[in-house]
Amino acid sequence: MGSFFNTYGFLLTSMVLAASLALSLYLPLMAGQLSLASPGFYALGGYIAAVLSTRYPAAGNTLFPLWRLLAEMLLAGLASGVLAVLVGVPALRLRGIYLALATIAFVEILRVLSLNLAITGGAVGIFGIPQPFSTQIGYLWIAGPLLLLSMLFTYRLERIRVGRAFVALREDELAADSMGISPTCYKVLAFTLGAVLAGVVGAISAHFLNTWNARQGTFDASISYLAFVLIGGSRTFVGPVVGGLVLTALPELLRALTGVSGLPPWLGQFLRDGRLIIYGALIAIGAVFFPQGLITPDLLSRWRKLQP
Amino acid sequence: MNLFLQQILNGLAIGSLYAIFALGYTLVFSILRVINFTHGALFALGAYATYLLTGSAVNPSGVLASLFSAFFGKPALPLALPFLVSLVLGACVAGLAGMLVERIAFKPLRDRGADPLLALVSSLGVSIVLVNLMQYLVGTEIYPFPDTVLGNLPRAINFGVPGKPVPVRTVQIVMFVVSMILVVLLTYFINATKTGKALRAVAEDTTTAYLLGINTDRLILLTFFLSGFLGGVAGTLVGLSVGINGPYFGIAYGLKGLAVIVLGGLGDIPGAVVGGFALGLAEAFVPAHYVAYKDAVAFALLFIVLLTRPQGLLGRAAVQKV
Repeated sequence: MGSFFNTYGFLLTSMVLAASLALSLYLPLMAGQLSLASPGFYALGGYIAAVLSTRYPAAGNTLFPLWRLLAEMLLAGLASGVLAVLVGVPALRLRGIYLALATIAFVEILRVLSLNLAITGGAVGIFGIPQPFSTQIGYLWIAGPLLLLSMLFTYRLERIRVGRAFVALREDELAADSMGISPTCYKVLAFTLGAVLAGVVGAISAHFLNTWNARQGTFDASISYLAFVLIGGSRTFVGPVVGGLVLTALPELLRALTGVSGLPPWLGQFLRDGRLIIYGALIAIGAVFFPQGLITPDLLSRWRKLQP
Repeated sequence: MNLFLQQILNGLAIGSLYAIFALGYTLVFSILRVINFTHGALFALGAYATYLLTGSAVNPSGVLASLFSAFFGKPALPLALPFLVSLVLGACVAGLAGMLVERIAFKPLRDRGADPLLALVSSLGVSIVLVNLMQYLVGTEIYPFPDTVLGNLPRAINFGVPGKPVPVRTVQIVMFVVSMILVVLLTYFINATKTGKALRAVAEDTTTAYLLGINTDRLILLTFFLSGFLGGVAGTLVGLSVGINGPYFGIAYGLKGLAVIVLGGLGDIPGAVVGGFALGLAEAFVPAHYVAYKDAVAFALLFIVLLTRPQGLLGRAAVQKV
């Protein structure tokens, strides 16, 4: 068991972080807002952690103090939240595809800025970000509780007034408005909650990946997170979490498949080099054949009935 | 003054390219009200197809090189078509791929009446497949078109008086001329032919058009062919100008194309042309000191236009119906 955790520590932590990022996209989607801005806030949070920890290194040769990581996460969350309100108030008047496009533009603008500013290290990025844990699996002590807390938060959110207002907005904005639910207020709130989570995850990821550059917050990343949510299921918070966990593990599973003996060499080579082709095909097939995603509220309620 | 003129000419050349690329996007949007995210991939596909048809060699890092070597004895197709012929055929390859994309990513969802946002995801999935398939086949290296591809044309042509030269690269003139021919042909096709009229009817209201006896399914296929064709031409022209910079280079243009169609108003055909030129000129006038920020211009414009005039520069505000 110990060797399993050592070998797959990186993968397990990546899976947990991906699941949290999927939740950050799910939160605005709860209120019916398709926002692809998460990678922008993720990159921002990462840069905050990377700059703070490399400019002010910890004294001595010891591990990076944990309290400073937590402080960076707090700061990254705050900064992302403030930026989200500033961007969200004007942008969330847009609907559907227009909002998606505006958030794509937001992510691209942040990317170009981080490529060119001195503080972000330009195209090279920031290297040698100090490690608060001696092994990569150690990051699960931070990433795991964060994911569990966010899941608990979202689970509760779906059952209180604010969450119900989100769902009302998703189902029919006009009707919700006429019932006294302020669309702008709740939309910005949903957007900001997602942004805060993405920023916090970014702060952890910067330490986890040890290096941070402009490639972290790109359009490709937006698409992966969107795939997590839509393939996992966008109607319950379990969907994005499952989507994030499974789809992050998938390339590794495909890689493991190439080692199976008795496979024709060309197929082995295709599985190794063409992993992303299969990944893309799965996204397309998922969207066409499982439009609700793998985990639907219907499925969850059936599971609940099965239990005595 | 000369510099100013040169910037304008540069802006017009790249703007015309943005225009035809964005036309491909906006044609599909005007009919289906969805964004076809494979457009950037088709752009790269058209460029590679043209490159191969001119008989140029592929790099050994892709699978295609060994396949070609096995069958033809060299890492290239056993033909060397003239550039313009290859351009048209290569664009047709992209167009046919566009029709395939329609059948795989759009039709099943449309038949079921699914959420249009799902088509965005399915087309993204197909786009990831296409881009990585190309990478698998040809590798990631830059493929510059050979210098001889345009025949004996000089590298640059002087647009100023002999004492004060305003040199413009021949490639940019080719870019502008080819794009303008396509814009004119497309405008004629849409406004003056019966099929074009049917296309406009489908864009206005698919159901009514269908009830009036228009074969909407075939017209949608045609739209995807035209869209892919335009994307393929744009890809080839960019490849001709700066080289085919890996299968992923289409994605960056794909995102810029989004900015162009929003500038012009989503689904607005003249708007896409105006938006293309607006972006090309805006980028040409970014001061040399801030040239690293040039790529942000498109997205800053996109953001500002969305917030102030979401209907686009030319469009009128749509009334939200309940």
